[in-house]
Amino acid sequence: MKKFIYTFSVLTMLLTLSSCKKYLDINKNPNAAEEIDPKLLFSYATVAYIDLRTSGDLYIPMSLAGQTLSNGGNNPTGWSGGDPDAQTYVFSANFLNNSWVTLYVRAGANLKQAIKLSEAASPANNNAAAQCKVLLAMATYDITTTFGDVPFTEAWNPSILYPHFDDQKTVLQGVIGLLDQALAQFDESSPLKIGKSGDTAYDLFYGGDIGKWKRLAKSLKLRTLLTMVDKDPTKATDIGAIATAGTASLVNAATDNAKIAFVDVAGKRNPKYAISLQYNGGLNFFFASKYVTDIMDPVVPFPVAPDPRLPKYFDKPSTAAKYVGVVPGADAVNAANPRIAATLQSPAAPEVMFTLQEELFNEAEIYARGLGVAVDLTKASTLYRTALAESCKFFGVSSTDAATFANQFPNFTTAAQAIQAIHEQQWVDKMDRGLDAFTQWRRSGPEGSEVPALTLPVGAPAGGLFRRYEYPIVNEISANPNAPKTTIKYNVKMWFDL
Amino acid sequence: MKKLLQSLFVLLFIATVAMAQDRTITGTVTSSDDKLPIPGVSVKVKGAQGGAITNANGKYSVNVPAGATALEFSFLGYSMQTVVIGSTSTINVVLVQDSKTLSDIVITGVNIPRTAKSLGYSVTTLQGEELNKARETNVINSLAGKVAGVKITSQSGTVGGSSKIIIRGASSFNSGSTSNQPIFVIDGLPVDNGSQQLNTISTSSVPQGSAGSDYGNRAGDLNSDDIESMTVLKGAAATALYGARAKNGAIVITTKKGKKGQGTVSVNSSTRFDDVLKLPDFQNEYAQGVQGQYSTGPNVQSGSTNGWGPKISEVQDKTFLNFLNQQVTLQAFPNNVRDFYNTGKTYINSVAFEGGGDTGDYRFGFTNTTQSGIVPNEKLRKNVINFNAGRNIFKGLDVRTNVNYVRTVADGRPVQSSNNPNVLQPLIYGLPRTLDINLLKDNWIDPVTKQQITLTPARNGNNPYWIANKNNFANVVDRVYGNGIVTYKPLEWLTISDNLGTDFYNEYRRGTTSQGTIGSLTGDFYTANLYNRVINNDLLITADRKITSDLSLKVIAGYNVYDAYYRRDLSDAQQLTVDGLYVFSNAGSVTTTNTSNRKRIQGVYGDIGLSYKDYLFLNITGRNDWSSTLPIANRSYFYPSVSSSFVFSEVLPKTTWFNFGKLRASYANVGSDTGPYQGAFVYSPISAAFAQYGYGTTFPFQGVLAFSSPAVIPNLDLKPQNQASYEIGTELRFLDNRVTLDFTYYNTNTKDQIVSLPLPQSTGFSAALKNAGSVKNTGVEIALGLVPVKLKDFRWNIDFNFAKNNQTINLPSEITSYSLASGWSGLSIKAESGKSFGIYGVAWLRDGNGNLVIDPATGLRKTISDQRLGNMSPDWLGGINNTFTYKGASLSFLVDIRKGGVIYSNTVSSLRTSGLAKETLLNRGNIFIDKGVVASGSTYIPNTTPVTSMQDYWSQYTTTNTEANIFDASYVKLREVRLSYQLPSKLLQKSKFIKSAEIGIEGRNLWIIHDNVPHIDPEANFFGTESVAEGVEFNSVPSTRTLGFNIRFKI
Repeated sequence: MKKFIYTFSVLTMLLTLSSCKKYLDINKNPNAAEEIDPKLLFSYATVAYIDLRTSGDLYIPMSLAGQTLSNGGNNPTGWSGGDPDAQTYVFSANFLNNSWVTLYVRAGANLKQAIKLSEAASPANNNAAAQCKVLLAMATYDITTTFGDVPFTEAWNPSILYPHFDDQKTVLQGVIGLLDQALAQFDESSPLKIGKSGDTAYDLFYGGDIGKWKRLAKSLKLRTLLTMVDKDPTKATDIGAIATAGTASLVNAATDNAKIAFVDVAGKRNPKYAISLQYNGGLNFFFASKYVTDIMDPVVPFPVAPDPRLPKYFDKPSTAAKYVGVVPGADAVNAANPRIAATLQSPAAPEVMFTLQEELFNEAEIYARGLGVAVDLTKASTLYRTALAESCKFFGVSSTDAATFANQFPNFTTAAQAIQAIHEQQWVDKMDRGLDAFTQWRRSGPEGSEVPALTLPVGAPAGGLFRRYEYPIVNEISANPNAPKTTIKYNVKMWFDL
Repeated sequence: MKKLLQSLFVLLFIATVAMAQDRTITGTVTSSDDKLPIPGVSVKVKGAQGGAITNANGKYSVNVPAGATALEFSFLGYSMQTVVIGSTSTINVVLVQDSKTLSDIVITGVNIPRTAKSLGYSVTTLQGEELNKARETNVINSLAGKVAGVKITSQSGTVGGSSKIIIRGASSFNSGSTSNQPIFVIDGLPVDNGSQQLNTISTSSVPQGSAGSDYGNRAGDLNSDDIESMTVLKGAAATALYGARAKNGAIVITTKKGKKGQGTVSVNSSTRFDDVLKLPDFQNEYAQGVQGQYSTGPNVQSGSTNGWGPKISEVQDKTFLNFLNQQVTLQAFPNNVRDFYNTGKTYINSVAFEGGGDTGDYRFGFTNTTQSGIVPNEKLRKNVINFNAGRNIFKGLDVRTNVNYVRTVADGRPVQSSNNPNVLQPLIYGLPRTLDINLLKDNWIDPVTKQQITLTPARNGNNPYWIANKNNFANVVDRVYGNGIVTYKPLEWLTISDNLGTDFYNEYRRGTTSQGTIGSLTGDFYTANLYNRVINNDLLITADRKITSDLSLKVIAGYNVYDAYYRRDLSDAQQLTVDGLYVFSNAGSVTTTNTSNRKRIQGVYGDIGLSYKDYLFLNITGRNDWSSTLPIANRSYFYPSVSSSFVFSEVLPKTTWFNFGKLRASYANVGSDTGPYQGAFVYSPISAAFAQYGYGTTFPFQGVLAFSSPAVIPNLDLKPQNQASYEIGTELRFLDNRVTLDFTYYNTNTKDQIVSLPLPQSTGFSAALKNAGSVKNTGVEIALGLVPVKLKDFRWNIDFNFAKNNQTINLPSEITSYSLASGWSGLSIKAESGKSFGIYGVAWLRDGNGNLVIDPATGLRKTISDQRLGNMSPDWLGGINNTFTYKGASLSFLVDIRKGGVIYSNTVSSLRTSGLAKETLLNRGNIFIDKGVVASGSTYIPNTTPVTSMQDYWSQYTTTNTEANIFDASYVKLREVRLSYQLPSKLLQKSKFIKSAEIGIEGRNLWIIHDNVPHIDPEANFFGTESVAEGVEFNSVPSTRTLGFNIRFKI
């Protein structure tokens, strides 16, 4: 018995003594890292960003509401199948929420953190910080062109829980500020960067080529200024300064294009392709928009050669003579109307963010409009033709055919003609880039004079054309006392949109 | 435990019985239920000194002095019986069990038994008997309507589905298995009651994708046949000794143990049938189509599955192409939805072997549950083995062990909620009225091509039979829980015991989607392995001494170690090569994620109990915890409680009308911790970037991996959460215990809430971890018991219970509101200062006078976002239980009442916008002007604009319009009806083999007597049981009504 009591007491003591402090020191997360290389945040931000831009949250609704695609109406294998969708201005709250969250959190917050880590490193990784700033500027540009007035100056700051909304001018100015900071920070002589030698994969854009990053940053700055200049004519000075400084510092070769290819492996395919594969047996859901085919395959044919991009953009039914797109919202007929080409939205098709032709069209516009420079229609015409040819080549047309097509366009005789043509082709070139085409359209002229002249899609409610995404309620408005509470409807223009 | 108590009482009486002499009476005392002899019954001589105790065979021998008038037989758990002494020297007595007296012993904190009258707080105990008469597969459901202050919500009608239990209102802003749910304790061992919702498609907080399947909660593993009693401890004082995990109350379960005496075999067999409790009211006049047109041409199938097509009676002269390309005359099939569902069947069979002697006891139980659901191919099998044995090693040293093994295998769990092609409910409710379900049943797969036959040529929706027959969401749970208790009594007044237990399970889940399923044409599957383990040890030292003859002191000191570990591996495979082969090497891509976490708590605690003359009681407890989850500086926290009970009837003169009166009061303060790993800024690896429709990019991509900043801003200075509560109450019994009243008022304030404060995501984060805000719950609970009729053979009992809880949120001024959870479409569950948890969302715009504001352009109503639309929780809950007993027959029925609170229904929205609900018939084809006003300058004038069509009118009831789909969630339900009949012992005595037998008919959820929600059962909740949020229905599997019968016998 005594032995038992002894044993029992010892056991009790042992159990009690195990309460040494170390027993509780287990609160270090075994599933996450406390220190990482900023490239890992950059890669996530990059992929989240391109996924959003190609996906059903941003690409499809923007393309349908912006009328660069047609939903096919009641066509059984069209996107809509007769159900309401973004073409008739019915937007799921998910689209708004997911777009907001991806741009602010998955892209924005990770880039902000990567910038912080890069700049705090010793020695500082200035190139990495600058690369992140350029991507952050791209994301911010997309946020404001999608939603209008949005938090910027107080965004991404853990000590400000309820950021104020900045007016769009401030946000766009902020985009320019980020790009200027990046341009000042890039250091081509430094081996430190995302995509450094031996580890180039993490720079999914340029494999660590800082020169290309700098040219992209400068071109993005020019694009932002062009978006602002109609509302804020003082921006013409900055535009002129960039134009006159020469194109060497701007995107000036197809190799400078900002695009990231997907991979033909399940789970890594372009979402545009994956959606049609999983929901439509591989047949593309979307039809050509009549607005696009009216420009590309006009009633009066081009004098020398048809647009060689047509077969690259669309799969025309063999029974149809011409490329006749579907009036947005109307019922598509399989035997008559072309769908988006399988080759355009292939499994490995890239997400495109900025191209040489976009830069050239922008320059053409500067000279056609005389923004900060004297109007120079000859220069504008040359730039326009080069841009057209580059656009053709971009979509897989041979150099010869591209040149033949582009060179049939004579020099512009009036500025108005030039501006109209440049805007039309900018829009056509961006047909597969939802938001970008929509922004291009909104800035192409004051209300009622946009290029092309869109009308309400079939079935869309009266009250004006689509102009913006409404704010996401759950992820921002209801959580932020500083957010505007009255709904700003999808048909209300934003600051830059005259 | 009951046995132990009985023995204790035996000892007590031996010591106090005095001896005297005159004549001797002998006899046997048996129990009315099993006819077995009862040892230890106290036999007291009335009118004189003297008494005896029955021996192991239930026999007694008592010396009766002259002048004695009667013998009193009393035994714990049985009604006292008085027998007048006549000339005979043999008096045999049959004692009748009395559940009221049995519940006089209550198991409280860390398995400590106490007499009910000593408790300074409110408790309710349900006996195993009560749980076994109408058995529920999820034992939590049997609490519904029976315990004041306890709210039960089942998630769905899924077989083995989960049920949520909330005691005295939600106290926390957070979701998580321990945030608002009570702790479950079995024989002193805290066990897991998680119900994990795994999102396979995104990091969303809303259960979607495969998370939409209701995989049940782990309390559903508990087997009612093995439960001796279930005690609901409601207040913090009651639970102070369990530590923080019990701040939301505790469900304390004691398991059955072998009874002393001859071994018995008990058999309990139930067969039950389930069907849908409530189906929508469909219209049966209109076919599918768009604005009155079936399709675009005479030889074109309709592209719609809705009710907006032509009026069936008006197109009888025409034929239309159905989904099989047959030209048919349209005809309504009013029962096509009803006929999709099967009659569910449940067989619960259990057998238990038990027995015991002077030095030990054993019980071995086995229960098999086989169930098939209302949805085709939905089935569940559960096997439970329970072994409980105790043994006295030598004087003073006892050991006991209780081991349970539970295996649950379920197939065909329907997918609910959204974002998964397998979501079933909208496919069924969305069937066009002209669809013949039998035709569909036989034509879901093309016999030649093996392709799915869809309802529309657009192939934009799945055939429900394809989903039910080809795809399968299954899980298997293997769970073991049990403990060993060593008790040593070195001295008469000193007990040392150690209770070491573990609860661990592995759950394997697999969801398969075959090739050809719309939305995943190439097929996919996922598997998850969930492992959870709890280890708990409690060392208790108890000293119990009488200080004076009137004053007793009981001191308990305890030391607790708790360790919880969780691990999950989740793999998602996309693009299958060979159809129907669900192995990873058959998939084009596999994404695997894994995670694990561990949490530890150490606690020391003490309890000092004083009792004076058995009517005045005082208990003071204190506990200090150290939690691994809090910052080192703040991880130690102390919390005290004090409770007192005063049985004032003991000091009053005895009257016939007033039998018992007690006042009780308690105060407790409980600290609590948080989840593991919340104190550091960490970067998590990312397996996939998000893209709508589930086709985001998986990593590694182009050779790169990805990490992300945390979604939640961590907090390095977290403090423990703090809950202060007090409670006062009284228990009164009148008129020979025929009227009993229990009243409680409580006030609980949970401060310094550790919250994941949702941030506007423009901050770059989704939330910040903070100590912020408080939730105050005050309320009353009333339980009233009446025995209106009590005759020799007939008895009528009515038990009423009522509970009202008022919740008030207090948030720091810088936080205007706190979003607890969000559904889709702008709906969220939020907390706002001065209010209770509510549902917020898009509402109809109204003018100053409450009139609807109409858009003059369309004739449709205008809306406004982010409005409060109602309380999430009910105003009050009540239950009325009637029991009639006549000899061996007993009939009881339970009515369960909920008043107040709202529910949002996605199903109702779909039925209306699709033109399938009956109310959409109204005004079809007529010009309809909605009653409301239109803005005219600064004032409003009546609306005169008609709506374009009723299809347009009902389209404004879309899911994004929250208010349009909000309903009062009140209900009155006939929750339970039982009819049982105990075969008379005379009948059984002839057989000599069967000791007792009882047959019964049981029904559950039989009838919604009253509700205010169209088309659905107001009791549905798509948020899982761990979520704080409720009041949202999202494509839930309809709840079921159950009818069954039951046979129980003992041999």
